[in-house]
Amino acid sequence: MRKWKKLGALGMASLMAVSVLAGCQGSQKTQQAATSADTVKTEGAKTEGEKTDNPAPVVLRMWGGVPAEAGPQAVCDNFNQLYKDKGIQVEYERFVNDDTGNLKLETNLLSGDGVDLYMTYSTDALTKRAEGNMALDLSKLIARDNFQLTNYFGTLAEAYYINGKPYSIPTKLDQYGIVLNQDMFEAAGIEIPTEWTFDEFREIAKKLTHGDGQDKVYGMFWNSQQDLTYLFTYLAAQTNGGDPMYKNDKETSFDDPVVIKSVELINNMMNVDKTSPTHTDSVTQKLSQESMFLTGKSAMTVGPWIVRSIKDQASYPHEFKTAFAPYPVVEKGQRKYTQGGYGDHLCINPKSQNIDAAWEFAKWYATKGMLPVVEGGRVPASNTYNALEVTEAFVMGAENYLDAETTQKILITPADNYAVPSITNHIAEVKKIAVEELEGIFIGKQTVEDGMKKAKARADELLQK
Amino acid sequence: MKKIRLSKQLKIDLTGYAFILPNIIGVCLFTLFPMIFSLIISFTDWDYTKGIGNWNFIGLTNFAEMWQDEWFTSSLINTIIFAVGVVPVTVFLALILAVIIDKYCVARLPMRLALFMPYISNIVAVAIVWVMMYSPWGPFTQLVKLFGMENPPQWLGDTTWALPALMLMTVWSGVGYSNMIYTSALQGLPQDVYEAADIDGANEIQKFFRLTIPFLSPTTFFLIITTFITSFQVFAPIQIMTRGGPGTATNVLVYYIYTSAFTFYKMGYASAMSWILFLILFGITMFQWAGQKKWVSY
Repeated sequence: MRKWKKLGALGMASLMAVSVLAGCQGSQKTQQAATSADTVKTEGAKTEGEKTDNPAPVVLRMWGGVPAEAGPQAVCDNFNQLYKDKGIQVEYERFVNDDTGNLKLETNLLSGDGVDLYMTYSTDALTKRAEGNMALDLSKLIARDNFQLTNYFGTLAEAYYINGKPYSIPTKLDQYGIVLNQDMFEAAGIEIPTEWTFDEFREIAKKLTHGDGQDKVYGMFWNSQQDLTYLFTYLAAQTNGGDPMYKNDKETSFDDPVVIKSVELINNMMNVDKTSPTHTDSVTQKLSQESMFLTGKSAMTVGPWIVRSIKDQASYPHEFKTAFAPYPVVEKGQRKYTQGGYGDHLCINPKSQNIDAAWEFAKWYATKGMLPVVEGGRVPASNTYNALEVTEAFVMGAENYLDAETTQKILITPADNYAVPSITNHIAEVKKIAVEELEGIFIGKQTVEDGMKKAKARADELLQK
Repeated sequence: MKKIRLSKQLKIDLTGYAFILPNIIGVCLFTLFPMIFSLIISFTDWDYTKGIGNWNFIGLTNFAEMWQDEWFTSSLINTIIFAVGVVPVTVFLALILAVIIDKYCVARLPMRLALFMPYISNIVAVAIVWVMMYSPWGPFTQLVKLFGMENPPQWLGDTTWALPALMLMTVWSGVGYSNMIYTSALQGLPQDVYEAADIDGANEIQKFFRLTIPFLSPTTFFLIITTFITSFQVFAPIQIMTRGGPGTATNVLVYYIYTSAFTFYKMGYASAMSWILFLILFGITMFQWAGQKKWVSY
């Protein structure tokens, strides 16, 4: 009798285990992305093999962090249509742009030719990949085709050279700004700011905050659970330029007055004014910009990468209109840089078998092919595009949800004073130290002054080693 | 005659080896080779991005340096706190529950199943549910508020409470396994001894401490060693629930090894730390083997 009972229990337990596992699959998209990458690879190989009778087209494998349906698939379809007779085809594979996703990409790059082209999203990653032989030096190809980057992207392109050489084509123009709920601003009788100081920003956030408990509407949402360093660095970069965490290669700027003021601003809004969810709230409730800003629980947030979700009314239905404003500065006249620059650095795998075809695609994408991804919220960096056309594509389908005027002004019209990063010495460690001390500050374990002093001492020791 | 027999024996041997060959290849490729490789690179300054072979042998520098590394020492301390907290609670709770369910429970099977469920559930799903449980709207905060605490702790967002919160979850998810092992051990205990104890007039408590615990000591020994090893290797809940934070409050050894390998790309250093982790676990296990003579009776 007992034996049967046990067997029954075992059966039930395994059944439950299977169902639990099945239930989890939905939430583990990250891991799936990796495995499906492998399947795509084999499928690609298969099609290559099948079409031996007519000259087999080169099938490029392109990896990017943007979900395929947000534009890249349409880009690839356009390209495949155009290049059908020229024997080049491209397949898109998405990797999640986080530590794990980038690790997968790099493992792939280091181990062979599974990837022909890929996107790099940060300058420190670009440096690492250029120096680690994961990105091809494009100098020869550029000289061969007379495709001078400065002709298309201005002298700013040179800021992304690594050790004086181009390892990528910059494709996206990033201009950052505060994302705001225009309806809430109108209701409160506040004009959309075009220039503001930290104090004015704080006051406006106070005016926009109301309600209590679960119904509270916050003036600002700092999105701090995602990454604590970018908040203060974006603020400080307006005044201090592209390396807001460094004074020089061997010294961090965690004692710089603008940096301290920026951290104080965030801390005051979280813990003194209570005009923003605290860091603890963000972490313990896993708050996201979608769950705060797009549901009307905060009037402002940092951005503008949320544009993708603003346009996705099916997943994030909302009624209000979104406008943009520049990041605030400590005091009037301190705006010396625009936080932004080039992103989406398109790189070619030096181990690729199809470097020429990949280069062909890269040129086409940067100068002609990007409109479908513009609809997903990415502004092209190349001057071959028409600004009006870009704005139109950018707000397309979301005319009622995006304010075209501030969109064009803040996000699309290029500036001439970008804060371009150049120092990457031990940046991962420096960031980790900053995050740890900032967490201590924001949860109230230490003052801003003490915390930043500790961060500086710890990070400088590391840099000088 | 003899020759044929020998070749027969050889045939049998070869067939046997052929059967285990797939596994041997697997072990060599995925266990033995990585182990040796990690030992070699632990003596180098290998930066992952520089590619294989691009390393300098630096002797024992990695092993010497880590003791000056605050991240390493604090994560080691967190790991020790974690293990020392989790192991006794899990094992003791499992024992008590096993005895109670075995003796006094009506619906034994559902109870055991309920206890075992967390152990076989996917740790990612479990961790996400527990994040919600620890949120300000979750049961823990509400419970504490019910007892009149004005400012309930923020659990995972609090430097003091984050580690205990993780420990509680680990105990919850691990107790079912230990309970299962204890239950099967309990069923194999000799009944005549208990009958003799009954005749001698021993009460339940006496029987528990004088008979059950000594009888179960080999099981306890086994469980302590295995749960100690698994708690030293805790990683998944940390990665999902706190990512080592807030500050360094939940930064445990394996998580730091992961960070230095895959965020800082210091493969040599990370390998050195994993070998230290191995040595620590080896040392603790040896110590327990030596200590078992004093309290384990077979």
